[in-house]
Amino acid sequence: MAIDLNNIGALVEEDQVHKAVYTDADVFDLEMDRIFGHAWVYVGHESQIPNTGDYHQALIGRESVVLIRGEDGKAHVLYNRCPHKGAALVVNPCGNAGRFLRCPFHGWNFRCDGRLLSVPAREGYEDTRLDTRDPQYSVKRVARYASYRGFVFASLAEDGPSLEEFLGGISLSIDNFCDRAPEGEVEVSGGVFRVRQRSNWKIFFENLNDTSHPMVTHESSVNAARAKYKSLPEGSEMPFQLHIIEGNGEPYDFWGALEMVAYDHGHSYMGAIFMPPTDRISLEHQASLEAVHGAEKAREILAVQRHNSVIYPSCSPHTSFQQLRVIRPISVNETMVEIYTFRLKGTSDEFYQRSVAYANIVNSPSSNVMPDDIEVYARCQEGLQTDGGDWVSHHREAGREKAEGDGRYTAGGLSELPMRNQFRAWAGYMTKEA
Amino acid sequence: MATMVSTQADIGRVSQFLYEEAALLDQRRWFDWMDLFAEGAMYWAPLTPDQPDPINHVSLFYEDAMMREVRARRLEEQRAWSQQPLVQAARIVGNIRLGEPEQDGEILVRSTFIMAESRIPFHRQIAGFYTHRLVEREGRFLIAQKRVDIIDSEGVHGNFEGFL
Repeated sequence: MAIDLNNIGALVEEDQVHKAVYTDADVFDLEMDRIFGHAWVYVGHESQIPNTGDYHQALIGRESVVLIRGEDGKAHVLYNRCPHKGAALVVNPCGNAGRFLRCPFHGWNFRCDGRLLSVPAREGYEDTRLDTRDPQYSVKRVARYASYRGFVFASLAEDGPSLEEFLGGISLSIDNFCDRAPEGEVEVSGGVFRVRQRSNWKIFFENLNDTSHPMVTHESSVNAARAKYKSLPEGSEMPFQLHIIEGNGEPYDFWGALEMVAYDHGHSYMGAIFMPPTDRISLEHQASLEAVHGAEKAREILAVQRHNSVIYPSCSPHTSFQQLRVIRPISVNETMVEIYTFRLKGTSDEFYQRSVAYANIVNSPSSNVMPDDIEVYARCQEGLQTDGGDWVSHHREAGREKAEGDGRYTAGGLSELPMRNQFRAWAGYMTKEA
Repeated sequence: MATMVSTQADIGRVSQFLYEEAALLDQRRWFDWMDLFAEGAMYWAPLTPDQPDPINHVSLFYEDAMMREVRARRLEEQRAWSQQPLVQAARIVGNIRLGEPEQDGEILVRSTFIMAESRIPFHRQIAGFYTHRLVEREGRFLIAQKRVDIIDSEGVHGNFEGFL
């Protein structure tokens, strides 16, 4: 079926979407313009670029951009393109540019905030139409960028909601991410995993709050963890590593009882699946928060229990284990996910090491949990390309969500509210002319 | 009682051990492979070549006996969806040479490997370096640590499901 790009809204109904949203290359191209050309997209964290000239490369849709610390001490987001002949200015995922950004082709130099610093043999441009004071001969800055508690987002569009307006209620997930640090700040630490998925980016986004897949998709790792636990001496406490694998085997009732909350712009979160731990490391963390804030505020911070939060269309923080997954669409059927681990400033090494262990077990390319996720995403991508049907169901508990009047939409834990909510935002972006 | 390995004959024994180990993995004999490890031994694939340690930094693999067993058990589960069809691999181990052991009684062995991996219809090549710390117990070698540094460890990867 040929897709009518002028009637793109017809691909999304309130409880189902047309398969073309996942498989059609023209739709993907339009997403790059209309979604990734407008939305606030996560670029990187300020802690990755502490010093002048420190940079971190990122993708905003198809655009290669550089998050860099300028001489003014501010984080800037620049297009990764020399304004002279077009060469990419940096190629490493991160690094330090030195005192200025230097193009490796003809030696044009730029300040770290992008402004042109020097051009070799400048006299050759005298009496030509090239005016080195013209901003087009500086490295172009992305239209808008802003930091929310150190998390830097950028928008390629001059106009649109502010970052705070865009985040709305989901900003509480970022707040809680940071508030769990006794010093109120977090920093990226300990390396980044990059995982390739042979599937459309939206399939991964939907899965982040999909509560009816774990017991099915993850049967292999759940069984393996349970079998290993059974072989331990009777009465053993389940080790942390097994616990976070085995948790996916909880029955439907367990997931149904979780909190499921959505906001405008496609954002949502699901309640935590691991109850507040009561082990020594967690209790020490709680005590360190109490020492700063007092018992009541500390309790309030730790009472915010969320599993995956969705910040559509670019990232997903996991507040209780300090992970951030960053989702980069590569093509209509390929997605890259980056996984960052954060250190909460003011916590112990042991506390941080548990976040590292969680990343290794759940988010590494060698995870025992993730391969079955990635496999089912790829199978969707494959099956959706057949003529076996045109629509993908998002009917579970459709129509039962409740608008709370404060920006929240709430539903039962097994509801597919998050998927419907993502596509409501998707249709909003896609039906708006550029 | 550990012994020093220095003669040509000993290098031959060490090489034979690495070949046998590689064959166990190629044959998906996970449980026999796990028996090659000494008590408390870790299997570690750092994410970065200069990674200082495995606990303050994420790793591609950092597994003790318990987690190795979880992986092995999962690979044999009927509903390990990503193992349909099975991932098959063939390794070549070469450039085997002895290094300076960090601990008394250990043998440090460095080698290079190239591994073809297929899950029909997908095919990929993985290459890198093994560093084995071996101990000798009752006339046989055991692995005190196996470290795997793949050459594109910081790249974008699909799943690593079996052991490297």
